[in-house]
Amino acid sequence: MTNGHTDGSPFAPHTDEETAEMLDILGVEQEADLFDIPGDVAFDGKLGIDSRTEQEIRTELSRLFGRNDELVEFMGRGHYAHYVPSIVNHLSLRAEFLTSYTQYQPEITQGFLQVLFEYQSMLVELTGLPIANCSMYDAATSLAEASLLANRVRSTSGDTVLVPEQLRSGKRSVLENYVAGVDMQIETYAMDDGNASIEDIQSVVGDETVAIYAENPTLRGTIEESLSEIGAIAHENDALFILGSDLVALSLLQEPKSVGADVVVGEAGVLGLGSSYGMGLGIFATKEEFLRQVPGRLVGVSEDADDRRAYTLTLQTREQHIRKERATSNICTNQAWVALRTAIHTAWLGPDGLVSLAEDSVTNAASLASDIDEISGYRAPVHDRHHFREFVVRTDQPATAIASDLEAEGFAVHVVGEHELQVCITDVNVHAADELVAAFLEVRQ
Amino acid sequence: MSFDVPEDRNYLESHEWTTLEEDTVTVGITDFAQDELGDVVFVELPSEGDTVTAGDTFGVIESIKAVSDLYAPVSGEVTAVNEALFDQPELVNDDPFGDGWMLKINVSDDDTSDSLLTAAEYADQIA
Amino acid sequence: MIYEQARYTEGEDKHEPLLSEKDDTTINVGGDDSPLPDSLTRDELSLPALSEPEIARHYTRLSQMNWSIESGPYPLGSCTMKYNPKFTEDIAADPSAAIHPDRRAETAQGNLGMLYGLQEFLGTIGGMDAVTLQPPAGAAGEFTGILVAKAYHEAHGNDKSEVIIPASAHGTNFATAAMAGYEVVELPSAEDGRVDVDALEAAVSEDTAALMLTNPNTVGLFERDIVEIAEMVHDVGGLLYYDGANLNALLGRGRPGDMGFDIMHYNVHKTFATPHGGGGPGAGPVGVVEKLAPYLPSPQVEQTDNGFELFEPEQSIGKVHGFSGNWLVLIKAYAYIARLGDEGLLDASAKAVLNANYLASQIDLEVPYGPFHHEFAATAGDRDAADLAKRMLDFGVHPPTTKWPEMVPEAMLTEPTEIENQASLDDLAEAFNIAFGDSEDAIQQAPSRTTAKRIDQASAARNPRLSWHRLK
Repeated sequence: MTNGHTDGSPFAPHTDEETAEMLDILGVEQEADLFDIPGDVAFDGKLGIDSRTEQEIRTELSRLFGRNDELVEFMGRGHYAHYVPSIVNHLSLRAEFLTSYTQYQPEITQGFLQVLFEYQSMLVELTGLPIANCSMYDAATSLAEASLLANRVRSTSGDTVLVPEQLRSGKRSVLENYVAGVDMQIETYAMDDGNASIEDIQSVVGDETVAIYAENPTLRGTIEESLSEIGAIAHENDALFILGSDLVALSLLQEPKSVGADVVVGEAGVLGLGSSYGMGLGIFATKEEFLRQVPGRLVGVSEDADDRRAYTLTLQTREQHIRKERATSNICTNQAWVALRTAIHTAWLGPDGLVSLAEDSVTNAASLASDIDEISGYRAPVHDRHHFREFVVRTDQPATAIASDLEAEGFAVHVVGEHELQVCITDVNVHAADELVAAFLEVRQ
Repeated sequence: MSFDVPEDRNYLESHEWTTLEEDTVTVGITDFAQDELGDVVFVELPSEGDTVTAGDTFGVIESIKAVSDLYAPVSGEVTAVNEALFDQPELVNDDPFGDGWMLKINVSDDDTSDSLLTAAEYADQIA
Repeated sequence: MIYEQARYTEGEDKHEPLLSEKDDTTINVGGDDSPLPDSLTRDELSLPALSEPEIARHYTRLSQMNWSIESGPYPLGSCTMKYNPKFTEDIAADPSAAIHPDRRAETAQGNLGMLYGLQEFLGTIGGMDAVTLQPPAGAAGEFTGILVAKAYHEAHGNDKSEVIIPASAHGTNFATAAMAGYEVVELPSAEDGRVDVDALEAAVSEDTAALMLTNPNTVGLFERDIVEIAEMVHDVGGLLYYDGANLNALLGRGRPGDMGFDIMHYNVHKTFATPHGGGGPGAGPVGVVEKLAPYLPSPQVEQTDNGFELFEPEQSIGKVHGFSGNWLVLIKAYAYIARLGDEGLLDASAKAVLNANYLASQIDLEVPYGPFHHEFAATAGDRDAADLAKRMLDFGVHPPTTKWPEMVPEAMLTEPTEIENQASLDDLAEAFNIAFGDSEDAIQQAPSRTTAKRIDQASAARNPRLSWHRLK
């Protein structure tokens, strides 16, 4: 087969002679004779999918993606784009990494195992918690798995997880789907000027609470000021404190361990992935005492026959392929390659680069909010808090109208209320901040 | 392959062994069980003072490739736990009937356990 | 073939040092220059501070100490390790597609158009009426499918509590059913390796919510009684779930929808050649028959006169991923399917089945069950399958999946896929045969040519060291 042909798989290398010889050895006339599919359920192969050449598909999809409007995005709310240095692509696309499978034969896959071990270590450093797995799908599924963990280790005390009123609806929906199977309840606590209302948490928490979830930064970009209190309330009520964050925020904001977090979840794909239509990399870190309740894969250190350090997947009896219906989770395929990208990006930034990126997320948000606030017809930030990357803008005019006009000017922002927009700034769009401010001015009616 | 089945104790179908001295029952798992499990890496046991119930699980044993519940042969209060297993779970492999013991249970009056196997009966079961 | 894997060794005790052993810099965080008060920041942070060349060298060395499908055969049964076409990566890297998931549909027509196209492709290939692309992996697809089944049963007032699963099924099936709150009823296999129809008859009841089935099953056999099986499950109001792990055997030749399956997931990282990435990301789209479409996750993509639009199915179960799933993976699956087309898909299943049968005919190990399709379970007999696998590592091939499924003693579940030619299948067979014929001594010494020698699994688990902090 050649790459020009279209009448077979270009990725099946058999020559006609080779195929004939193999069939001959097997004593059959044709490949179809090897199939044991009864006639009443056999299919004739006519799917109606035309084969295209590589070049044709590239043209087709390039045209199709060209139908996305070219907008400068100032969007966040759980999916953030930071500049991804070229080295991330070049190294992560090395086929030895990209086209490798899960490390079930560790002797021959030491490289990827070390990558994942280093990724786990970076999360341990950033969270202060001693155990981090080598990935979950995304922040939403991490939160869901953390809630299930809380239910397993605190099942004697109850079955309710407390979450902020301001929680992405998608994240909440994922959580509902995961906890329904064990009959857990979800209750919400109110926010007070963007941050968690301690008073309200106090009033909703109870014997039945197995976990309290808080985010830092919050969905509306504010930085929490009372995390230690939330941790203390959780522990007074024999509940776990689950803290949601992201890799960049973790480098600057209060260390989860120092505020009593029992599980840290959130998004690590903020580094290494860039804007990818919502694709993510779920963080999952926890304390030693919950080690055997951790979902997903863990890479650990051991020794080989020469007594050298070697890495291997470990504690696999937690996982579905051994424990079946009693596994901690059904997760199997995870986001390993994204973890590789995130680790490379983190290493490339180093501690100074990472903290600078985080500090810029605070100062850029403050500065952009202040510029927009100066324009009459807008108030920003709405909440009197410190912000990380994003903030809410109050608009005199209906927010949808403003957003739509901004779109016409080439900018995309979130509409989060009848008179509220949300704006997110990172190193990717900071160059266009002044233009966004000008557009805000332009579209004001 | 043949496995040790010492005559001086009783057995459960679920591969635990027991010895009785006065009111105290010592519990572990058999040579056959440790071989089936392979390298034992973790043992989860109750604490001293906890009560266990005959026929119910009292802990979990984990090897590289499997995880199994441990079943109590009698009901009663746990009077001793082999804490050495927490750091050296391999004792279960190395010496299942000796240093690999797990619990000592003070048999309660309302103990309802019966039908423990003799060594001969257990040897038949694993034959 | 003989294989010597790269091995960078530093001193007596380790290979390539950890990043943290190359540098460990602690910086203070907060303080006078910080934009935040100290009460809101951490105190310090310790991470490696390395230059780009040092980082490039580190990861390049690690890559050289890693096996991949481009290194050589990777015949892991049930994993479908195919070659991952390069051009799909270039398409996935298109900056025009790198947009935020909350963009209004009107401004994201390109991405929605691709999603719609892939929904259509997968629906056709599986014989399903509607498809969601949201589940980020096969296991997540299973979970989604079982949630859809549950929502359907609840909406129809069906009181169902059980999911039936063959003993030889993938471990995820059991874990998934349990996560969804169902009791698992395990079904023994018949002597011929297929579903025991009599046992199924006894197992199905009014409580049966679903039967989860892989077809061909986990030893490669087609469930010839599938129509009867489907009837038995449907007669008690249950649904039939298709685990798509083995779909590669059926491409163009059999569609789960035509066999009576109501729900299926697709493993695009298996069947549709998206890279495994060292463990992920994959994607686990789910297809359903028409009566289940209203329960699919939200949002779905539809094509209208106004272009592509998002909509929430009437009785949607909600979401199973925070956004739209593993977008970059989905692009690659679309490109692969478009490249193959009808003829290529048919050829993929033909060559996958040809390769499995040819390889089986060239090895000295017995294959107890047949006729198998894209994979076969050889038995190592009185040898230890995991030990033989270690020996195979020395010969430039990856060994098969070992010791599973349990219905075959000391199983070596082997799936060469369509991408190997006769010569590389012969190499594989040679590795099998050398290992099988080797002395126990040689086997215990293996592997010797890989970066690491035999690794002590017990030590890793008895004394968990899960971060570099534990090695200081």
